[in-house]
Amino acid sequence: MTNEARVPIRLVIGLAVAIALDTALQLVWKTGIAAIPDTSSTWETLVAIALNPIFILVVVFMAAQLVNWLKVLDHADLSYAKPFTSLSYVTVCILSVLLLGEHIAPLQIVGIVVVVAGVWCVSQTGRATLRAEPE
Amino acid sequence: MTPTAFGVLLVVVSTMVEGFGQTFLKKSALDVTRRRRWILLGVAVLIVEVVLYSGALRFLAVSTAFPITSLSFVVVTLLSRWLLGEQVAPLRWAGVGLILLGTSLIVAQA
Repeated sequence: MTNEARVPIRLVIGLAVAIALDTALQLVWKTGIAAIPDTSSTWETLVAIALNPIFILVVVFMAAQLVNWLKVLDHADLSYAKPFTSLSYVTVCILSVLLLGEHIAPLQIVGIVVVVAGVWCVSQTGRATLRAEPE
Repeated sequence: MTPTAFGVLLVVVSTMVEGFGQTFLKKSALDVTRRRRWILLGVAVLIVEVVLYSGALRFLAVSTAFPITSLSFVVVTLLSRWLLGEQVAPLRWAGVGLILLGTSLIVAQA
């Protein structure tokens, strides 16, 4: 059985922040780091990434992501929380159209609807497995 | 093994590694006396995942590799059940199935 069906507001905010940070990371990656020219050696590419100011932004976002995600996992099952992060595929797709002027394919619109339906299904299940005793 | 097959294998392995990394992070919430240890282990494993995925991109185009990473939603759900003892209701499985399909459709076109 699962406990209380009501989802606490801090969990909702935590999931929203996780999606927002994930989206920001992917967009920064797409526009910034992907612009680094390909070099033959992995080492040269790593150095180029580390010297890029955007890299600092990525590291800060990743640290914030970790802190926030650990808070989320304090309040929900992993198998409940993780599926919500798939919404970042939707936000990245939509923002790529709005901000980067990319085109959207009909199948992508179908994909967005299917992902949202999937997340809705997960949201209808209990957020935390009731445990007999704390481990 | 062809380079493409090797790349696909690396991506699939990286999604499994992601599942273990996430499981360890969740463990930190359950096993609070060893919280720091689980977090460090989780982060270390997620760094391994990034290295594996980056390695895979030497053999595969991003447009091939990225859709495969959707598998991590299935891996995480399986490991949550097997290693964390979480109860995964049929409706949650249905949701994960839809997410796998939907995210693949979104990124396959990107």
